[in-house]
Amino acid sequence: MKGPALPPPRCPTVSALLADVAKTPYGLIFADSAERETVVPWAEVYRRARRAAAGLARLGVREGDRVALLLPTSPAFMDGFFGALLAGAVPVPLYPPVRLGRLEEYHRATARMLQVTGASAVLTDSKVRLLLGPSVEKARPRCGCLTVDELMRSEDMHEVSVRPDALGFIQFSSGSTVDPKPVALTHHALMTQVTALDHAMPVPEGTPRVGVSWLPLYHDMGLIGSVLSTMYFPGSMVLLPPEAFLARPALWLRALSRHRAYISPAPNFAYGLCLKRVKDAEMEGVDLSKWHHALNGAEPVSADTLRRFAERFERWGFSARAMRPVYGLSEASLAVTFPPEGRGPRVLHVDPSTLAREGRVEPGARGLVSVGSPVAGFEVEIRERDGGALPDGRVGRVFARGPSLMSGYFEDVAATARTLTADGWLDTGDLGFVLDGELYLTGRAKDVVIIRGANHAPQAFEDPLGAVDGVRTGCAVALGFTPEGSEDEALLILAERAGTEPSAAVEEQIRAAVVAATGVRPHTVRMLEPGTLPRTSSGKLRRAESLRRFLAGELSAPKRMGTVGMMVEMAKSALAMVRAEQDP
Amino acid sequence: MVEPVSQQVLAEIRRIAIEELEWKGAIEPQHDLLLDLQLDSLGLTVLAVGLENRFRVKLSEEDAVDLKTVGDLIRLVEARAAQSAEARP
Repeated sequence: MKGPALPPPRCPTVSALLADVAKTPYGLIFADSAERETVVPWAEVYRRARRAAAGLARLGVREGDRVALLLPTSPAFMDGFFGALLAGAVPVPLYPPVRLGRLEEYHRATARMLQVTGASAVLTDSKVRLLLGPSVEKARPRCGCLTVDELMRSEDMHEVSVRPDALGFIQFSSGSTVDPKPVALTHHALMTQVTALDHAMPVPEGTPRVGVSWLPLYHDMGLIGSVLSTMYFPGSMVLLPPEAFLARPALWLRALSRHRAYISPAPNFAYGLCLKRVKDAEMEGVDLSKWHHALNGAEPVSADTLRRFAERFERWGFSARAMRPVYGLSEASLAVTFPPEGRGPRVLHVDPSTLAREGRVEPGARGLVSVGSPVAGFEVEIRERDGGALPDGRVGRVFARGPSLMSGYFEDVAATARTLTADGWLDTGDLGFVLDGELYLTGRAKDVVIIRGANHAPQAFEDPLGAVDGVRTGCAVALGFTPEGSEDEALLILAERAGTEPSAAVEEQIRAAVVAATGVRPHTVRMLEPGTLPRTSSGKLRRAESLRRFLAGELSAPKRMGTVGMMVEMAKSALAMVRAEQDP
Repeated sequence: MVEPVSQQVLAEIRRIAIEELEWKGAIEPQHDLLLDLQLDSLGLTVLAVGLENRFRVKLSEEDAVDLKTVGDLIRLVEARAAQSAEARP
């Protein structure tokens, strides 16, 4: 299925877009947890970026160099990001450390991301820099690690023009993982993506051109979906630090009301967090009636969350028709499909067991939410294992093609070849089906666990289990699943036992090891008999198949080999030995 | 009589855990933040930001080093609060 034709982008590059939006009266509004706001007009963002670009050039950063950014949501982030772009370099936004979080894993992941992108400089603030010693020491960026303040000391301005096919930035396909992949996006890809977003989300008439986002800026939905798209519309964007939202979710809704904002994206869990933690008293005087595009993406969308959110916040003017469950992934820059505006969510009830066993859609009890049809310039196809296209209502792998796909994983030809086909299709690794021109997602073939909108490689959760004695070495899998009665994806650990320690005690140790290493708490830990987890012929664990069997209730211990079976095996083995000895 | 800061911090940790994090058990200084209170990265962030706002302190990323128990967190906030009180004229 195909989306509408893509109008040509208004500007060829993100750098040109910044110069263009600098002529408008709009800008960025940084709000803090006390609801104080600092306005930085786009003209000022542009001026500061040219100063930062001069600083980077002085430092020795050359065109095409990667510049890593480890900065919180702040004007300094914009200086670093746009400064790198205007210097002709490629910004690489990475996640800054979490307060009170564990640092060892952080350093390991950060050092690796600096290394795989070959960052020539690291930009940060004075507080984070104190901590970066170990990461920077390992990666040794050529131009060093410095704060944005140091970069901005001179009044010089600098700006180079870049080609549309030059890299615009590199984003990582997963947040805090053992093996995150660097997704390389050209200026052209980014510009076509924001053009498609503009096409899918027109500004309603008589509404102030302003949006709100608390999403982290190292996340595709935060940077492309909130900041770059706002530059294109053009308009203003209110940015809240993610931790301020997590600590007090009402800040998000209050900011939407204060600015009469029409657009704001968030992962499903954020809507759930509002249901749980926003108090009526905090909503006094709040008006959500201008919120026209309530985007819900970056993790599986729950029909229940959508319904309950609309019911609860209707009192404050929120309309269920504003809810737009969307689908995208960092390899596509961001959006792949969008539902029509103003319709509200479409929920299809299917039979979960026919879906799991036969990959077929039959009416039933499980509510699946449509994520819509391809955005402008995109097409989507459902394919079976051998690559053939599947008809409507049949579950298969979701493939997508469009102008904003990544050019590849940065300097990783092999990984790119596994993901992008020669004729330009992206294997999303997601499973789903198409019905009546809309896409429904049913699961994932790729090994990714999505917790609160962040993608994690399963290894991040499996590696710490090596230190738990009661677990057979290398015989555990980490999976994402949506527990019965829950609305968000949660972490499932399936582990084969070793030794005789009681399961409950080992499960506790597993929980402790995982949360200490990753900050994520497993929802369910299941101890299994040795040999229960399915493996490939070469002995590798099959995660997706493990999950399928767990959900279908088919995880069972291998049959114990009886005496007769043992004798047969021994005889076979003896025969093989004799043959081997006879061969010259 | 003014309540000692440590008691105020403990009371605030209890309030955040119960009201914001749906924690139902007891909270004592000897409890481990991860093992006993079962906090994950979201829980730690909510707790850190909540304490920062209430006591007007700044907890930084390196504060995680050697921070294990509720008591450690109380001492940390207490120390930061004393520093910021000194800094004020």
